[in-house]
Amino acid sequence: MKKLIQALAAVLIVSFALLYIVSGLNSSQGYTSGNTLTIFNWGDYIDADLVDKFEQETGIKVIYETFDSNEAMMTKIEQGGTAYDIAVPSEYAIEKMKEENLLLPVDHSKIPNLKYIDPRFMDLPFDPENEFSIPYFWGTVGILYNTDILGDKKITSWNDLWDPELKNQILLIDGAREVMGMGLNSLHYSLNDKNKDHLIEAKEKLDRLTPNIKAIVGDEIRMLMENDEAGIGVVWSGTAQELMWEKDNLEYVVPEEGSNLWFDNMVIPKTAQNPEAAHQFMNFILDPENAAQNTEYVGYSTPNKEALKYMDEETISDERFYPDEEMTARLEVYENLGKRMLAYYNELFLEFKMHKK
Amino acid sequence: MKNNRKWPAVYLALIFIILYAPIFYLIFYSFNSGGTMYQFEGFTLDWYRELFADTRLLIIVLNTVIIALLSAAISTIIGVAGALAIAYARKRRVKNTLLSLNNVLIVSPDVIIGASFLILFTMIGLKLGFVSVLLAHIAFSVPIVVLMVLPKIEEMNTSMIYAAMDLGASRLDVLTKVILPYITPGIFAGFFMALTYSLDDFAVTFFVTGNGFTTLSVEIYSLARRGVSLNINALSALLFLFTIILVTGYYFITKRNEKPNGMGVRQ
Repeated sequence: MKKLIQALAAVLIVSFALLYIVSGLNSSQGYTSGNTLTIFNWGDYIDADLVDKFEQETGIKVIYETFDSNEAMMTKIEQGGTAYDIAVPSEYAIEKMKEENLLLPVDHSKIPNLKYIDPRFMDLPFDPENEFSIPYFWGTVGILYNTDILGDKKITSWNDLWDPELKNQILLIDGAREVMGMGLNSLHYSLNDKNKDHLIEAKEKLDRLTPNIKAIVGDEIRMLMENDEAGIGVVWSGTAQELMWEKDNLEYVVPEEGSNLWFDNMVIPKTAQNPEAAHQFMNFILDPENAAQNTEYVGYSTPNKEALKYMDEETISDERFYPDEEMTARLEVYENLGKRMLAYYNELFLEFKMHKK
Repeated sequence: MKNNRKWPAVYLALIFIILYAPIFYLIFYSFNSGGTMYQFEGFTLDWYRELFADTRLLIIVLNTVIIALLSAAISTIIGVAGALAIAYARKRRVKNTLLSLNNVLIVSPDVIIGASFLILFTMIGLKLGFVSVLLAHIAFSVPIVVLMVLPKIEEMNTSMIYAAMDLGASRLDVLTKVILPYITPGIFAGFFMALTYSLDDFAVTFFVTGNGFTTLSVEIYSLARRGVSLNINALSALLFLFTIILVTGYYFITKRNEKPNGMGVRQ
């Protein structure tokens, strides 16, 4: 009995000592003061120095929280409990959040720096006139290939993937829209095609790709490509860029038939406590110098036209990540297909996954 | 005969290598100056320096430890009480029902528990943060503690209790001087089990964190999209070292206290 009480006392003493340390750290960071801004973002998706800079400039304390998927983020915002002032969902999630009335409109007059955003990235189908969202980063879906494994083979289009020489070399993202989109694009159809004949045609074409497919995976694709496990990966440009920073033998290409254009945008959830600070922060991030700094850190493509002036010439002239107007014209943003059509996409994707080699 | 003894040892060694290899791989690369997990370029302590400079991460680590310790301690107390109640339930049917209810909580998926807690907490208006995480962790640890303590109680000889009562012990005396000392190993096992469950739980915790309060597992999961940086390796190395020290310490303490105690009655 004595031993148990001693152990309990020890645990309690240690916890309270730690609590004391944490509260000390918290107040030294200013997290306990009143004027705060709560940001809900993907992990490691902002340069932490910028957050410090914002705090110093405005005196607003930033509470920074992270999530790992759009769906999880939406659940937490929907339920409330924490008042997030800014969240950074992807485009389809924004559409859903709009439908469910989870967002506050953004007051453009409070964000003068909005003028720096390239008009190409404004007024897109998921949020006409940017009523609720402000662009944060964007990118494409494309083909990442390993030049050591493929040798001199040139990859420029989706249709190159059907080459029988690529047997058991391709890694695909486990996403119905991405994979079906690739099938549709390779047939020169739209990513958002709702014509069932076209969809079935795309699915049948994908079935013929199965001998070349090594695996359909999630985030592991990063690690597999890193370790030269496969010659080709169909990935998001953000993933590709990071891998290419680390490895010289990887190349990325946006297929010439066209592909998906994705966005992560800043929004203000309905539960926001401090929309004023949220606007201030959006404006701060859109400041060209800050945007440039953030882009250098995160490595995804910035929609901020003015920021490009502050960035490495080499980065911005890279057409794989900053495609020209002609290329972007061929890129498409995912539209909301509606529940039934989406279910049909999923069904076809599932059938494709079950297709035998 | 000798051969017979060799193979189990080889097998065991193999299993341990498989279990520990990823951890050592991780630790090895925490000293990599290259910044990636596949090319070792040179030795550096930069990641450790970066780790200690990152106050936010430090707060998260401490939060995680506090939650683990407190929730394990509280759930151990509740769990032991619960185990006693189940073990000494009069009716067999009541006992079985309680036990099944306890087991249901263990096998039900974390995501569901997490989501239900989120709904519950927001419904009763509890602000998400330290308290909500603590409550959720206590809740999922209690059934585990019960399961760890229960066998220990059942293995105890009931005649010991009758003997103590015959000698004039009150109910409280029986509890504190006979039962609790006897089941102490089970209680400690339950505590440590709860501790590890709390440390590594992601699914439940994700739903109930908020208002700036977060734990390590949630933070590391959210890094998945952009790849985990090597300072997380450094952090894992430190935590691993810390656990090793803790376990060794615990081992020596229990060894020192080990006295022949066939009956399990002390003091």
